[in-house]
Amino acid sequence: MRFRTGAALAAISVALLAGCSSTAPTGGGGGGGETEGAGGGSEGPFTIGVSNGFVGSEYRTQMIEDIQTVFDEYKENGTLDELVLENADTDVNGQIQQVRNLINRGVDAIIINPNSGTALDAVFQEALGQGIRIYAIDQAVETEEVVNVGIDQPLWAETSAQWLAEQVGEGGRIVVVNGIEGHPANEARWNAAKAVFDEAGVEVLAVANGDWDQATGQQVMSDLLATYTDIQGVWTQDGMAQGVLRAVEAANRTGDIIVTGEARNGYMRMWSELKEGGFESIGVVNPPGTGATALHFAVSQLEGRELDESKTENGDIVLDLEDPITNDNFDEVWAEVQDRPDSYVLDSVLTRDEVNAYFVG
Amino acid sequence: MSTGLDNRAAGTRAVAWIRRVQIASVVTWSLLAAVVIVNALVQPTFFTLYSITSTFATFVPLVFAAVAQAIVVIGGGLDLSIGTIVALSSVVALKVMNGSDALIGLGFLAALATGALCGLVNGILVAVVRLQPLIVTFATASVFGGVTLVVLPSPGGAVPPAMSQGFRLAFAGVPVPVWCVLAAAAIWLALSRTRFLRHVYAVGGDALAAFASLVPVVRIRALSYVVAGALAGLAAMGVLGNTGSGDPFIGADIALDSIAAVVLGGIALRGGRGGAIGAIAGAIILALVTNVLFFLNVPTTFRELASGLVIIAALALSVLTTRKAVVR
Repeated sequence: MRFRTGAALAAISVALLAGCSSTAPTGGGGGGGETEGAGGGSEGPFTIGVSNGFVGSEYRTQMIEDIQTVFDEYKENGTLDELVLENADTDVNGQIQQVRNLINRGVDAIIINPNSGTALDAVFQEALGQGIRIYAIDQAVETEEVVNVGIDQPLWAETSAQWLAEQVGEGGRIVVVNGIEGHPANEARWNAAKAVFDEAGVEVLAVANGDWDQATGQQVMSDLLATYTDIQGVWTQDGMAQGVLRAVEAANRTGDIIVTGEARNGYMRMWSELKEGGFESIGVVNPPGTGATALHFAVSQLEGRELDESKTENGDIVLDLEDPITNDNFDEVWAEVQDRPDSYVLDSVLTRDEVNAYFVG
Repeated sequence: MSTGLDNRAAGTRAVAWIRRVQIASVVTWSLLAAVVIVNALVQPTFFTLYSITSTFATFVPLVFAAVAQAIVVIGGGLDLSIGTIVALSSVVALKVMNGSDALIGLGFLAALATGALCGLVNGILVAVVRLQPLIVTFATASVFGGVTLVVLPSPGGAVPPAMSQGFRLAFAGVPVPVWCVLAAAAIWLALSRTRFLRHVYAVGGDALAAFASLVPVVRIRALSYVVAGALAGLAAMGVLGNTGSGDPFIGADIALDSIAAVVLGGIALRGGRGGAIGAIAGAIILALVTNVLFFLNVPTTFRELASGLVIIAALALSVLTTRKAVVR
């Protein structure tokens, strides 16, 4: 009897396998694609879909608000008619469903903050097959036809790593608090920063993960401070730098430990207070507004305009980093943003005119 | 106890069992019908080939996971590690296939074997060592998740093209994902004819009585986790077909969703009752509820809340009606 169970299982698996593979030679894209989406160069008004698979961070909240603001401007002049938001905590499978919902809703372009650089490729092909344009923000995806719009994450990490390496000098001893292990953005950043530290002869005593979460960052940093008493610096990423700084402050070490910070108001408020005591830091802006910038690109392309190849990197848009915030220019930057709430992430959205510069003619 | 008495008792129990199952099923199927009708009303494109393919493709993994969970729950257990078994099986199969169409068969075997092996670990800990299923599978979920990260540290890798493309095609006019759901149902129907599954019902219903009737309780319990693990391996192949790539973090929602699907499907969490066809319906209900909320334009901030409330309502409806039947 148990043999029969096994046999039944095996037989059905084989049947399943045969069903899946025997239809393959007919080629991809034959299964769906009944409704043709509006291709490039048609007249509006257009519908924009947004897919975001992680909510609850100030960064993502601000990202959505920025998109909404720019959308409202376009809606006012009749270029866009609807903004469909798919915004929920989910895994890749859930984000695939988000994209499919947007496809079934008949959007003309999708702006996505992808949960994975590779695992959404198949669903992107489904969307592209229906003439939908896709813009990936915050994190690049490998699908060629998708336009990545964002800052250079390795360069972002190098900037603060370089600065920290100069501060602690050769033979300096630091610890690292990273984001989420295995997350593409985390890997890209850490690989770049690590190369800088290796080059400069900075000794990395330990690498821990703070999950891009302030409370976790604080906990992890407290543990590191207890274990390594002679550290001179911490390299960390945005989203948890304030937690890290709190731990350093609680240990009364802000005078002799250098922390690479974040360009966020909560962190900058602490920085402004600690600065008098000799505290040094750096904040590199990672603007949540890239989503809104991508919306400008989407509208231009939907209107039929062509990207100037010479201004893209293999079809992707790499946005310039703003000058980092250090003790030298801190007062100036802080004066501009200090009235905003602590959750504010220093931001920039390209204007329509600035985006126009990326297009032909 | 005389044999006659035993038989009569068994007969009464069987009648009661059928009645409960039917009432639970009526609720499940009504819910399914309701959610399909509402979805069709709010989504004009619901019955297009693309929509059917994509909707089914999204819930294929959950359907297999729900069947897996159903078997464990019917046997009186619970498996919180289903999600990470799916993740581990998917990355192992991905590595084995290495993007080559010729190795898809081997990939299936690898996924099945990985899943079954994980299930064996659970089975031994629960049935032989006799630890609490909830705690055991909560812990093994982290273990399997950790191994997954070792096998595939960061998302990447490509599924054989024939697999990701085939998953999106129609076969004999019916989309492949629909076939996959039918296959899940067929697997369950085949299993339910076996002595193994009758024993699972017996163990889940009353382990002591089953033991007294010479059912190999320990082996059946362990085996229920193994079979569930193998089915999670099939869910993993669904995930791969759907994503076309590997991701060590996939499947985080699957464990709890599969339990919700099982309960929606009228399977009692205390075991011994229900069937996986209901769980399949439950999985489809869960997936379509999210769909409906999207097309109803529920603002994203409220969608999770609304989705939770709808699921609680559906669960309550399904559980309360079953309980009433039991009281009667």
